[in-house]
Amino acid sequence: MRIGIDVGGTFTDVVMVDERTGAFHYTKTPTTHHDLAEGVLKGLGEILHIGGATMDDVNYLIHGTTIGTNAIVEGKGARVGLITTEGFEDVLEIRRVARPKEAAFDFWADNPQPLVPRYLRKGVRERVGAKGEVVVSLDEGSVREATAAFRREGVEAVVVALLFSFLNGDHERRVAEVCEQELPGIPVTLSSEICPEFREYERTCTALMNGYLGPVIARYMDRLIERLEEDYGRVTLHIMQSNGGTMTAEVAKSHAAQLINSGPAGGAIATAFVSRLTGNRMAVGADMGGTTFDISIIDENLPKTTTWGGVTNYPIKLPMVDLKTIGAGGGSIAWVDEGGVLNVGPESAGSDPGPACYGWGGHRPTVSDANLALGRLNPGYFLGGKLPLYPEKAQEAIRKHVADPMGLSVEEAAAGILRIVNANMAKGISGNSVERGYDLREFALVTMGGAAALHAADIARELKMARVIVPPMSGNFSAVGFVVADVQHDYVRTLAKKQNEIDPAELLQAFREMEEEGLRQLEQESVSPEEAEIVWSADLRYEGQSWELNTPIQRIQGAFSAEHVARIAESFHDLHQQVYSYSEPNEVVEFVNLRVRVKGLNSKLSFKGEARDPFLLEEGWKFKRDVYFKDQGWLNIPVYEREELLVGTRIQGPCIIEETISTALVPPGHTGAIDMYRNIVIELEGEA
Amino acid sequence: MIYEADPVTMQVIRYGLEAVADDMGYNLMRMGRTTIVKEIMDINCAVLDAEGGILAQAHLCPLMMFSLPTTAANMLERIARFEEGDVIICNDPYMGGQHLLDVQFFSPVFVEGELVAFVANIAHQLDMGGAVPGGVAGGLTEIYQEGLRIPFVKLYRGGREDTQIVDFISRNIRFPEKTIEDFRAQAATTVVGVRRVQELVRKYGLGVFRDCTRMLLDYSENRVRRFLGDLPDGDYTGRDRLDDDGRTQDPVDIQVNVRIRGEEMSVDFEGSSPQTAGNVNSPWACTQGGVFYTMVGIIDPDMPLNSGSFRPIHVTSREGLVTNPLPPAGVTARSQTMTKIVEAMLKAMSEVVPDRVVAGSHGQACTNSFSGVDPETGKRFSYIEIQGGGAGARPTKDGPDGQDLHLGRFMNTPVEAAELENPVRIECYEFIQDSGGAGKFRGGLSLRRDIRFLADVTWARYSDRQKFRPQGLFGGREGSVGSLILNPGTPSETQCRSKGVDEIHAGDLLSIRLPGSGGYGSPEERPVKRVAWDVRNGKVSVRSAREDYQVVVREDGTVDQEATVALRGI
Repeated sequence: MRIGIDVGGTFTDVVMVDERTGAFHYTKTPTTHHDLAEGVLKGLGEILHIGGATMDDVNYLIHGTTIGTNAIVEGKGARVGLITTEGFEDVLEIRRVARPKEAAFDFWADNPQPLVPRYLRKGVRERVGAKGEVVVSLDEGSVREATAAFRREGVEAVVVALLFSFLNGDHERRVAEVCEQELPGIPVTLSSEICPEFREYERTCTALMNGYLGPVIARYMDRLIERLEEDYGRVTLHIMQSNGGTMTAEVAKSHAAQLINSGPAGGAIATAFVSRLTGNRMAVGADMGGTTFDISIIDENLPKTTTWGGVTNYPIKLPMVDLKTIGAGGGSIAWVDEGGVLNVGPESAGSDPGPACYGWGGHRPTVSDANLALGRLNPGYFLGGKLPLYPEKAQEAIRKHVADPMGLSVEEAAAGILRIVNANMAKGISGNSVERGYDLREFALVTMGGAAALHAADIARELKMARVIVPPMSGNFSAVGFVVADVQHDYVRTLAKKQNEIDPAELLQAFREMEEEGLRQLEQESVSPEEAEIVWSADLRYEGQSWELNTPIQRIQGAFSAEHVARIAESFHDLHQQVYSYSEPNEVVEFVNLRVRVKGLNSKLSFKGEARDPFLLEEGWKFKRDVYFKDQGWLNIPVYEREELLVGTRIQGPCIIEETISTALVPPGHTGAIDMYRNIVIELEGEA
Repeated sequence: MIYEADPVTMQVIRYGLEAVADDMGYNLMRMGRTTIVKEIMDINCAVLDAEGGILAQAHLCPLMMFSLPTTAANMLERIARFEEGDVIICNDPYMGGQHLLDVQFFSPVFVEGELVAFVANIAHQLDMGGAVPGGVAGGLTEIYQEGLRIPFVKLYRGGREDTQIVDFISRNIRFPEKTIEDFRAQAATTVVGVRRVQELVRKYGLGVFRDCTRMLLDYSENRVRRFLGDLPDGDYTGRDRLDDDGRTQDPVDIQVNVRIRGEEMSVDFEGSSPQTAGNVNSPWACTQGGVFYTMVGIIDPDMPLNSGSFRPIHVTSREGLVTNPLPPAGVTARSQTMTKIVEAMLKAMSEVVPDRVVAGSHGQACTNSFSGVDPETGKRFSYIEIQGGGAGARPTKDGPDGQDLHLGRFMNTPVEAAELENPVRIECYEFIQDSGGAGKFRGGLSLRRDIRFLADVTWARYSDRQKFRPQGLFGGREGSVGSLILNPGTPSETQCRSKGVDEIHAGDLLSIRLPGSGGYGSPEERPVKRVAWDVRNGKVSVRSAREDYQVVVREDGTVDQEATVALRGI
């Protein structure tokens, strides 16, 4: 048995899978903010009970948490002392000088405050040059001055980020030795170890994340493991990383920066899992929550990763699953501006006061209110009926704030709200995919979260996407991703050489060294070299560019020759052509970073599949309900219970397929089908 | 106005157009080869209607916001026939351009044989020829010295590159290989844009598309009208000054005269200096950009940016003023003037909407180009360095420390990127203490970057604010001025002028110190705690705390409450 636990802001989701049969069990329990371990233990107990198992049956326990992200957002990380090259103490706060993105005209926009104030940033006398040479040797006296100040100020972690340490980390390592003498027990993070790449601001910020979150994560892990051991004896706990892989809890303590966004990364992994299962190599994952819409891209069954990600405008230059978030969710508020035009979001009613239809005191109309007013949501079956909805409150809010000011009927206004939020979500997907040269017609749209399946068919049609897949357990989807994820570690080296300057042997050696480091790491996590998968790639660019393209490299056993190097450059030209619609095959290619990803492959899991010939279902609905469509007006359409639909079922739209945590809409002109893994597949009629 | 289309469809199409503009910008940024495009993002992209009006533009460099439509209008008068696959380029400041380094690309969008729109982009190139490598030289007197002036020419006809034109341009510029690559990136970006707009038009049909875009422009116009209508009628004046024009030592005056009447406003520049011998002249599209940028920031930074928004704002300038020069005046350093136009506009508008303006910022664009031959590789290099400075304090909070300029969303060049590519060593990059004007809300601090040269270089630059300080508002103090110092603290220390061209020798150190910014509100109203925090972080000195804020902070960073109460008289 494998168990995945996702501690979210509101709920702790738990999933258990029986590896032999592919049977899944799932549950949800409220997140316990005063002590997260309590909710985890409760969820664990519940899932074992539901699945009729004991901890002895569990061979893999994995956990994901937003604790890292939250600590950053709330400014509750460790008190960090930052050591920089003298004269560059302010690099962290100067950032890249630019105003926040999207704020080119906004006098009021601010970048977030630096996580280390100026008085805890200390310069030391030293300098390494652009070739890795020592220009000024390290003055250890200046290091001791810094550590003395840190001791006085009671810092809990030290981060060291010196210029050009990515080429020569000797000074950083020596600073670490001094810190260990002067500040025993205080963890030290070196930028040359966490992120050996050029660009001092981004490297400093990345290293800082590790130092800032390290003590928080370590405390949390220790507490959780202690509680698990109290109840269940010795347990190996795995942790989800932002790169889409896992690592053991022990390793996580010193790699805290890699835990940021680990929950949503699980969602992307689950999307990849479903896309592989259903034979859709290319997919877009769409997670629609109350406030946000998270988009991930699955390319050839793998989630797209980026090294230009971050959290709340702090860059983190580590490979992470590329998630784009836009401010559109079920709670997004619809409002008419002074010009009489309807807007939706980015302001959200959240859960307090919540959408008008919750009856919790919200009076402004939201996307959920529009869905309810148009009959798309069942007022008596939201969260399986646990939360009654009030259609009249939704209608009233829409009438007052949208329909009347615009001179529309309530239905027209509600349909307008949905069109606008759908267009906004479509814009988000389009931006994320077109900029990479993808053709969305090859993509499936995989939904997660309770609300996405109501909007997905319309968005997919807007973007001409192939189909919509609504997987089972979409309310626990991140946790599903956790249990199917592989152990994974990423390594990087800056090479910064032009193609014609590269010694193939040097290139090979760098890859081999990173591989060995990775295999050693996997061994610590009980993965043998035979179970490991190793992937090489390099960040390449044309001379003069400064945004690299990560180019896959065929891993070889023997020696590298100049021909191999040329072949790598060729794949870069092809990739550049695909992404930017032009390439320059005669131009000099620069090899900026070399990367190795090692994976300890998790044994392949599958949902339990069931073969049955497809058949058209023309009855068997729970009841019929009036649902409004923009072009057809009110239609009386059948509503099905998802649990009751057999594998192989095909249903003509329009219809609604409900379950306790999610509602799927099959619009007119579409068909819905239940595939062998119990996914709902929605396609335009005639295209199936 | 009666429309067939509905406002919801309009909003949906607006999102579609904005996505095209933003995606083009992203594409161009990632493809760009030269630092100025790739790290500094001195670019913009837009979708224009068939008449050349802006329908949507990317949220990139606002400096350039008015060039694309102004140039498009001139293009439509001069090019009789467009065909599918054409790419028209132009960099003429007297046709709506910025300076010659900013090259604009336009492609017509055809749907079923009918011209329905244009897509366009503009990007700052590494070099466009002229007297000085990198082109960013102050002190030139004629546009002929500033580089190659390209009228409207079709770089691509029917999708095919005109190799003669490429060759012609290549022979007139330095580093043609890099620049031509950036040209191709710009052209490829228009191709992407054309396809996307075609898809959008086909989806909704041409009738609905046209109706919706008309409606969108009217809608934006009405939003601005409503805002202006709520303001009291009146006449307001704002002024600022440039140090000089780079040729003489005389200050250059900028004056804006704002008249608000009903739902419209007009702005003229009477009282500003005549066009100058040096090249700080602001071409017409640049001047308009300065006014509109300020008004967008004041009215609503999130409003849709299209030509409709600007209809109720009438900007005029007599020809021959520094704000509307006649050829052959040089214009390369126009950003010094544009930023002053913003400052003067903010000052004028502070009388009308005091809670929507900000105090004076560094108000210039410190742009340096260092070029020479790398002694190790024997290759020419050209290193561009643009820096921000202090950003003005706001009615409710401090100004940001170390920020790009009004009109420009720039990124700095990382120290490591600069040194990896050029024979330089940067010896410090930090905030300058006390450079932010004191106030209830403090002005943002400025920056200092010291660069040691490992090769002889030609240093061309333009910057400003060595003489006239950034303004404070409503009792806030002025910010600091900037300076460019060669070999500070040595016998050969030299204060350099803000604009010009000089030689720097290997081993010399140039200290670039940017101007600060003004405070907002009286410094005595600043909470003692905030002053002490600034002192603790070295942003404000103990002396300034006492003299400017009347707060007595001890050496250890604690506040002497008694002495402070005595000083503040509370």
